[in-house]
Amino acid sequence: MTSADFSAVFPELALAIFAMAGLLAAVYTGKDKSAPMMLWATVAAFVLAALWIGTGGTGARTAFGGMFTDDPFARFAKVTILLSAAAVLAMSQDYMTRRDLLRFEYPILITLSVIGMMMMVSAGDLMALYMGLELQSLALYVVASLRRDSAKSTEAGLKYFVLGALSSGLLLYGASLTYGYAGTTLFSGILSTLNDGVPLGLLFGLVFMLAGLAFKVSAAPFHMWTPDVYEGSPTPVTAFFATAPKVAAMALFARLVHDAFGGIPGDWSQVLAALAVASMFLGAIAAIGQRDIKRLMAYSSIAHMGFALMGLAAGNAGGVQAMLVYMAIYVTMNVGTFAFILSMSRDGRPVTTIDSLNMYAKREPLKALAMLVLMFSLAGVPPMVGFFGKFYVLKAAVDANMVWLAVAGVVASVIGAYYYLRIVFYMYFGKESEALDSGMPVAQWVMLMGAAAVMLLGVVNLFGIEALAAVAAETLVR
Amino acid sequence: MASGVVAGKQGHSALTGLAFAPDKGRARTTGQPAATRTTAHNQNGNRPGMSLALIAALPFLGALLPGLMIRAGRTACAVSTGAVTALALLLLGLNAPAVLRGEVVQTRIEWLPQLGLNANFMLDGLGLLFAGLILGIGLLIILYARFYLAKADPMGQFYTYLMLFQGAMLGIVLSDNILLLLVFWELTSLSSFLLIGYWKHLPEGRQGARMALTVTGAGGLALIGGMLILGNIAGSYDLSVILTQKVAIQSSDWYLPALLLILLGCFTKSAQFPFHFWLPHAMAAPTPVSAYLHSATMVKAGLFLMARLWPVLAGTPEWFYIVATTGLVTMLLGAKIALFKHDLKALLAFSTVSQLGLITMLLGFGTKAAATVAVFHIINHATFKAALFMTAGIVDHEAHTRDIRRLGGLRVLMPVTFAIATLAALSMAGIPPLNGFLSKELMLEEAAHTVWWQNPWLVGVLATIGALFSVAYSFRFVAHVFLGPMRDDYPHRPHDPGFGLWAAPALLAGLVVLIGLAPMATAAWLVDAAAGAVTGAAVEVKISHWHGLEPAALWMSLAAIGGGLMLLGLFAPLSRLWEGTPRPEAKRIFDGLVEPLATLSRRITDALHDGAVTRYFAIATLAILAAGVWAFVSGTHQQGDHALTPVALVPAAGWALLMVTTCAIVALHRQRLLVLILVGVVGLMVSVGFAYLSAPDLALTQISVEVATVILLLLALNYLPKTTPAESGGARRLRDGVIATLAGLGAGGLIYALMTRDFAFDTIAAYHLANAKTEGGGTNVVNVILVDFRGYDTFGEITVLGIAALVIYALTESILRPGPANDRLRLWKAESQDAGDRHPLMLVVATRLILPLAIMVGVFIFLRGHNLPGGGFIAGLVVAIALVMQYMASGFEWTAARQKIDYHALIASGVLVAAATGIGAWFNGLPFMTSAYGYVTLWPLETFELATAALFDLGVFLTVLGAVMLSLASLSRIALRAGETVNLAPYDIDPAAGRTVKEEAR
Repeated sequence: MTSADFSAVFPELALAIFAMAGLLAAVYTGKDKSAPMMLWATVAAFVLAALWIGTGGTGARTAFGGMFTDDPFARFAKVTILLSAAAVLAMSQDYMTRRDLLRFEYPILITLSVIGMMMMVSAGDLMALYMGLELQSLALYVVASLRRDSAKSTEAGLKYFVLGALSSGLLLYGASLTYGYAGTTLFSGILSTLNDGVPLGLLFGLVFMLAGLAFKVSAAPFHMWTPDVYEGSPTPVTAFFATAPKVAAMALFARLVHDAFGGIPGDWSQVLAALAVASMFLGAIAAIGQRDIKRLMAYSSIAHMGFALMGLAAGNAGGVQAMLVYMAIYVTMNVGTFAFILSMSRDGRPVTTIDSLNMYAKREPLKALAMLVLMFSLAGVPPMVGFFGKFYVLKAAVDANMVWLAVAGVVASVIGAYYYLRIVFYMYFGKESEALDSGMPVAQWVMLMGAAAVMLLGVVNLFGIEALAAVAAETLVR
Repeated sequence: MASGVVAGKQGHSALTGLAFAPDKGRARTTGQPAATRTTAHNQNGNRPGMSLALIAALPFLGALLPGLMIRAGRTACAVSTGAVTALALLLLGLNAPAVLRGEVVQTRIEWLPQLGLNANFMLDGLGLLFAGLILGIGLLIILYARFYLAKADPMGQFYTYLMLFQGAMLGIVLSDNILLLLVFWELTSLSSFLLIGYWKHLPEGRQGARMALTVTGAGGLALIGGMLILGNIAGSYDLSVILTQKVAIQSSDWYLPALLLILLGCFTKSAQFPFHFWLPHAMAAPTPVSAYLHSATMVKAGLFLMARLWPVLAGTPEWFYIVATTGLVTMLLGAKIALFKHDLKALLAFSTVSQLGLITMLLGFGTKAAATVAVFHIINHATFKAALFMTAGIVDHEAHTRDIRRLGGLRVLMPVTFAIATLAALSMAGIPPLNGFLSKELMLEEAAHTVWWQNPWLVGVLATIGALFSVAYSFRFVAHVFLGPMRDDYPHRPHDPGFGLWAAPALLAGLVVLIGLAPMATAAWLVDAAAGAVTGAAVEVKISHWHGLEPAALWMSLAAIGGGLMLLGLFAPLSRLWEGTPRPEAKRIFDGLVEPLATLSRRITDALHDGAVTRYFAIATLAILAAGVWAFVSGTHQQGDHALTPVALVPAAGWALLMVTTCAIVALHRQRLLVLILVGVVGLMVSVGFAYLSAPDLALTQISVEVATVILLLLALNYLPKTTPAESGGARRLRDGVIATLAGLGAGGLIYALMTRDFAFDTIAAYHLANAKTEGGGTNVVNVILVDFRGYDTFGEITVLGIAALVIYALTESILRPGPANDRLRLWKAESQDAGDRHPLMLVVATRLILPLAIMVGVFIFLRGHNLPGGGFIAGLVVAIALVMQYMASGFEWTAARQKIDYHALIASGVLVAAATGIGAWFNGLPFMTSAYGYVTLWPLETFELATAALFDLGVFLTVLGAVMLSLASLSRIALRAGETVNLAPYDIDPAAGRTVKEEAR
């Protein structure tokens, strides 16, 4: 352990110290009274960390004997994670304060899970992978049941925990099999053993680890926890679930299959393709019948993970780049959409039924327009930026000679378009119904409008993320 | 099949008035793939021109104007909007001469080159035709809308949307890059959605907008897929490259999927069967919108794309059968429905569907002649249909109704409108000498010579029937609205509108006549250029009214006109018949399609996600099982080569007992006490197994853990119901049983497979056996591993153990605070009676006697741990069990009063001792947890070993003891709260006093 090692993990270290100091400080001072301040401090810390990482070094380096990797890929994922977490936190403050949910543990737990995610995307070793994953998951189990007096929230947390524990166990089993047959837990070491055939145990290890990770990204058929948890958790927590952890799990997916199993893309790309197809179709079909917008967004996220996995299934640098671009766009869209969902209330009480959006455009034309843009973007309709994300992954699949996968993706996106457009339809042409409250806190308004603007203005050059994603992908796929 | 069609066609083209010029160097025939357009164009000089991008951008820039200009008044707003359109038209006109010479004007701008997306524009004949239509008719619509919209309507907003739409349409027809085309394609969906929804208060408008958006939006997404494949085959997303790749595309395996996806996009956009239903319902939009979107422009986007990709997609049997058949069916279906519609706009809408079907069919024939006719009809249809829509709008505007049954006799009241409508309608009916006649006759001629599935006359007859219906509905439009007696019950007494409103349709009617009278002078040059661009060959059409008596088309035309008039004559009875027969209604079909699908999806979802975790587990387990099977089947692997060890009788019996107990647990799991005992049996068997496999340490640990947990669980279970609630029916248990069995077999199989194979390295046992004594100073390898080699792990574990005990304490603490759980606890009633003797004398005496012995054993086990089976963990458990027994035998209060240890402190000191031992290594300059040992001789004892590991083990001992005792104390507090009486005396009968405690109390 040298100082070089510590400098590589400096952002994680700083955030961890920040979290622990915050915990102590809050316990011994104002407790929940200091929660808003804690929350904004956390937002600031995330943004600072993102800036630090984003503008920091170039190139790749490893630390702690290869267990920790700091490369453009990790940095891309980390900046996305940090910024989306900051955005979600910022827009949740008003909601949580108003509903008396804002405990000082909330920002701290979020910070801990973010640290876990940063560990995940930098993992260069099965143990580092698992540590990061569990740090993230444990914090998330708790925030899912943050509203302790609500049976739904508690149930959500418990379900998430039970199924998450199953997936962790599976992942761990796969990891130990991998270790047993590769003789090492280092990704680079595993990669080098693949040259002389893949023993059965290694194959099982790979498949079980993929299944475990599929749980974390909520890819069908390991998605079952998603709708219940999305619906049951407090909305800000749902918003968080839909953004940063998805990026982290997806990046971890990419890291594992490329860094550790890059030598045998044939073996995992089929699994990923199967997961992708199942997720896209399940997400698209199941969302049609939903009446609750949070539940709908759960299925929507399942479908989107399917698309991102499609990029990964391509098994080459182009695919990873497509996945990164897709995830960055996906996160932005979700931040905007959830900013809107957070603001949905009637007489001060949160409302999440889709029906309540009837004729929204008449009362709030600007916000309705922003939602229209976001929904079209989620559906992948050009010229919104969401289209480019979708196009990237489709193109990656086609370029990798997986045309059938791309065709399946197109069919799924056609089905999926229906429910996004249904929301737009309700807003513009629904029947008259009771109006939603009109106010919207500044942070939420900024996120909603910002995301919508990004979806429109990004058309020009996608804000240059494709080049960054390309660099990131190249470092991962060798 | 299609090649026969093509071959059969060539001879007739002269008859129908079309002649193909011989190749002039830039043309290519269908058979020659590579006489590329690009090179041909290059020879003639591709003209680069920034103006194309400007033309496409102008409407978007112009979309900003109306919002600003509306403050200056409605006319100013309209004029400024019109000026932008006119400017774009002018720029287009500047490019026209070059295009008509056969050149292709191009503009290339890099956008996202990595994605293959470039802002490349091109203008050829086809683009010129469509761009002209879009801008020209757009200009007329702007004029018309200025006078059509009421004062209350937000005109600025309307013009903004209109300009957005115009820009999107222009973008489609000018794009050289198919991705760019897609972007504009969906923009038309979006802006048309806004335009249709402009009149939000009409319920039909809502439904219309929803259907239009759903259908065209979904089609657009399908188109993305098709274009992606097409671009992949061609290796570029630039049309100028794709159009040269006919052979590569048509021979590709992915030709059919690409074709289907592209056609899906085209058919939904152009309202072709079976997607024809959305168009009429979109007609609830304001009439200018209907006239612009649903006659002249948007619905033609699908046709445009088919024409644009015609050179590379057409000519195959698949293309012929899909496109031509769809077109034919649409033509017939649309025409039939149109005849019986009573809403003026609905009639026109379905007639549009029918006419679009006609054009689709022509494109589907796949011959150059037919494609040329299609291009010609596109021009004609745009002129007469836009005029008809505008007159229908005028009637609606003036009479306040569009219901044909409430109209009639308007010719006297609205002579100008009547004249315009009649000219346009006659053209639609195909009456000479108007332009509709010319293209319709050419169409019939093409149809007459088309062989469909070896049937030479079917297409011709059906096309004639389609034409017949179109005559009927065209005449009905005129006869039932304008002719007949004047009525006195119009909702509003109509009269001709001002010039502003009829100027635009009049201009179009003039074109109808002009093209009809002098086709060669007015339209042929445009048709030449456009058809040349479609077919890739130079085309010189000769259009004339009279071809002699020979061509079939003449007789088909006559039959159509005669039959159509007869049909109209019989309208009343036919209409009754129509009303009487059940028929598919678009809205009902859409709802009927969407609703069950939504229900189906809901049902699937509910079945999958019913909220029950058991189901989730079932699905997850099956998925994991499937993944495992896949991994096994897909991998190439050899049979495991480890020899199996023989099975002795005793372990087999033990294994059988284990299995039986496990099954019994599953079967009896509702009886909590029974299950606990069975779990104990399992634990016992496992420890026996450890002992059998030469792991005495593990056996000892297991057995003491078993005892401690069973006792603690017994105490905990005391306050829970004796049985668990019944949870599920037989079927579900069967399902779960099957899944569990499969999973168990899978896991067993996997373990078998793994244990018969070599790992990547030898087991680590050898290393530990070799080094335990030399490195760790102990001969008990397990203990050395625990306290030395893996001391760090153990340190973590005891910390966790301590935390777990604290959590138990905290949880029970929260139960003791006022709250629902506390209330339940206080009202708790024992389900079974107390045993008569709570603290049996024998037990009390026995435990007291055993205590010193047990502690002695604990110390012994602790001390021998380093070299022989034993250690701090086991010692802690043994002592804990001895103490627990005291509590059980003599009661909580009595025991607690006799020992003053704070369990929290015990745990803390255990962890601290272990930590201090680890830290001690630092003072010797060694890393944390480095162990050391030495040999000491202390008189009168023999030489013995002292290891830091023993100190560490002491920490383990203390933590384990504290954790168990703290858990026990927590449970006791619950017991107190539940109403347990406290006895300070150890037993009910005090032998010293010779009386019972109760008697004493008395």
